[in-house]
Amino acid sequence: MKTLINRIRHSEFLTFSEVLRLKVTIVNVFLMVFVLLSVFVSKTNNFSWNMSILIPVGFGFLLVFTFLLTVVNLNRFAMHISILTIIGLTAYYISGSDYFFTYILFFVSLTVIIFYQDILTYLLYGGFVTIAGVYYVYINSAIMIGANSTHGIIVSSLTYQAILIGFYVVFLIQFLLSDSIYEKLNNEYVRMNKALERYQDFSYSHLSEIQEKKKIKPIYENPDFQKAISELSIFINEFFEEKGDNIAEVVEFYFFLHSQEVEEVIEDAKLPSITRRYSLELKKYLLNYRSELYSILYEFTTLFKGDDHFDEQRYEYNLDKLFENRIDKLLSLAILYKYLKTEVTQYDKWSKINRKLTHEEITEMFVSKEFREFISFEQVNFYLDNEELFKDFL
Amino acid sequence: MEKQTNKFKYAQLERFKESIELEHLKRKTIIVNILMIAFALCLTYFLFRDEVEPRKIYPAIIMLVIIIIINWVFASLEFDLYSNLKLAMYITIMGVFSTTLLLVLTFMTPSIFTLLFFAYAVASVYQDNKSMMLSSLSLMITGTILILKNPSMFSLVGNTSPQIFYVLVFLIVFVMLLTLSSYILIKRKTFFYNQIASIKESEIRNILLAEEMASLKSKHQIDVNEYFTSLKTFSDHLSEKIGIENVFSRKIDILKDLQIKKPIELLDKYKDYNLEELEALNLMELKVNEKMMILAEKASKSNDIIVSRKEIFSEAQFKSFAHYYDSTYTKIISFAVFYTLLKLDKQYLKGLEDEEIKDILYNSEFFYKIDRSIIDVYLNNNDVFNTIVDDYMKGGM
Repeated sequence: MKTLINRIRHSEFLTFSEVLRLKVTIVNVFLMVFVLLSVFVSKTNNFSWNMSILIPVGFGFLLVFTFLLTVVNLNRFAMHISILTIIGLTAYYISGSDYFFTYILFFVSLTVIIFYQDILTYLLYGGFVTIAGVYYVYINSAIMIGANSTHGIIVSSLTYQAILIGFYVVFLIQFLLSDSIYEKLNNEYVRMNKALERYQDFSYSHLSEIQEKKKIKPIYENPDFQKAISELSIFINEFFEEKGDNIAEVVEFYFFLHSQEVEEVIEDAKLPSITRRYSLELKKYLLNYRSELYSILYEFTTLFKGDDHFDEQRYEYNLDKLFENRIDKLLSLAILYKYLKTEVTQYDKWSKINRKLTHEEITEMFVSKEFREFISFEQVNFYLDNEELFKDFL
Repeated sequence: MEKQTNKFKYAQLERFKESIELEHLKRKTIIVNILMIAFALCLTYFLFRDEVEPRKIYPAIIMLVIIIIINWVFASLEFDLYSNLKLAMYITIMGVFSTTLLLVLTFMTPSIFTLLFFAYAVASVYQDNKSMMLSSLSLMITGTILILKNPSMFSLVGNTSPQIFYVLVFLIVFVMLLTLSSYILIKRKTFFYNQIASIKESEIRNILLAEEMASLKSKHQIDVNEYFTSLKTFSDHLSEKIGIENVFSRKIDILKDLQIKKPIELLDKYKDYNLEELEALNLMELKVNEKMMILAEKASKSNDIIVSRKEIFSEAQFKSFAHYYDSTYTKIISFAVFYTLLKLDKQYLKGLEDEEIKDILYNSEFFYKIDRSIIDVYLNNNDVFNTIVDDYMKGGM
């Protein structure tokens, strides 16, 4: 239980499939309560002894099955089974005589479906449950009217149906909204992440060129470094395995990979699958290219760089928004052009950072749709109208 | 030991996060107000039905109209819009629950009771932690009191002895599931706000880091004077072509002065410019300020990035030493390499003391980039880690 609560508390750091597994587990706990309750409902509904036991046991099996599916990581399938279980339970409760709590159960079924936060699942199962709920009210409208009610069958039935439909629609809107926000944020995150990788590629290349010039051996070739990693890994592994030094061979393989073409090792079908698997896993953490490990290391380094300054324009890169004055906008455009044409910002054909952008490349960039992030249409038109002046004097 | 999660966050993060949230909060406020209008229209429909007395409906419609007006007033106040919209959000949630409660108490029928669920659904659109707690508590408390104090309310024509216990259990399950669902959703959304805000700052710092390395490599400096000469020639020809006087030259002079003086110090010299105008020009200055350099570097490197839909939802986007699909050996080795590199002197970062590493790993988001059981081993045995690396790496890199 403590682990479950901890996982909920730190759910933002879980992967999509881990979150889904967590949700299935939570739903299973709640469904267990319903299955237990259904034993008593069977009694109040005067079902036969066999039915009173068999049906809850059947639902119990479904819960065990759902649990087993999460164990083997078939989380999506487990989600569908858990939704079908609650729909099955609702259908079972319909046979009871308390119409109001059966009606409430339609809301609970919708809640379980909402809990998964999956729009297609909600449209499909949620739509079905809502239609079933509306139909249930329609056929039972005469007996579902409140004993206190003075408003007649139509108003009562309309209220039941309108609230159920309203509930479904509002959550559908919430889904669409959160989906669009989530997708937009995710898109922005991935795009920024790719941009970061490019800057980090440059950092790594500069560093390699410095080491090459100074004839410094790469760290992964340093025997002391290799021994330190091996010793540390064995020490950590002792907490996971009785024979901690089992990892030593993999550490050796990790350093060996630095002298190999990793892609070729991964794709070599003649090699044992375990070799290829470790190559694929360890590739992310090699030190001979800007790997995931270097990205994290540079990320860590940025904690010590930069200043604490913040102004509203700190993350604004559009010249049109940065400057209000028209002359400022044109002057900044000229400075941007000059910078791109004068400063080294690109890799050359030997993969060294040694190349400036040409006038033609800058023009291609300026007119591209993506470059609207930096300059406006008006600025592009100004540039195209005076392209020769830019080319000749900047 | 309590985690100090803000200790190693970029200082700019909170303010930028607020600006991202504000954009979404505006959209949510509009949607909730549309829903309230729809709710009010539904109630208006019942005014025209003979079975319902209009005097029972009017107060609820008036309350909804007041909430909509309050929202409109708060949204139109330009000063501190973020706080205004947050306040409007809390008022709306309280208002919607009060309106539904008023309707429930007026009619006292089982059908109207479920209107509380609808109110909860409306509040959930905001996807905000405090509003989620507020609506969950409102539903739980009002629902429980109504069920326990007025059990007869749930009597139906077809069943005069309702099973109140079941209704209460269902209500509890309903609230708990929806609260948990919102909690997980909000946590993940907030995480994304953090990530986006953090990555924007990280972008600036990574560009600066790459520039730092470039200057280590070639000692190259931007030749600002050559920029001014070119700009002057360019503007002369441009003015001649357009047939106006050179409106750029004075600004170029100011840019030259901004290399050695701050905008405020130039107010006396350039009396026809105010501070705001000088500060705008200061953004273009290349020797002291970094804005144009960062902008140009970003433009030159990130312009052609394309994101496919497949990549958007890929877990591989999150860099860490704890990918669920990796073996324990890989997780151990990657962390061991990372830790050792942190301890060593590098061109871009001096070697860190173990205590400093421990502090950062424990109190920053890097904690979550490392497998939980491995980071626990490190936190409990950091002195051993320190000794191993020191023993082997005495000579440095």
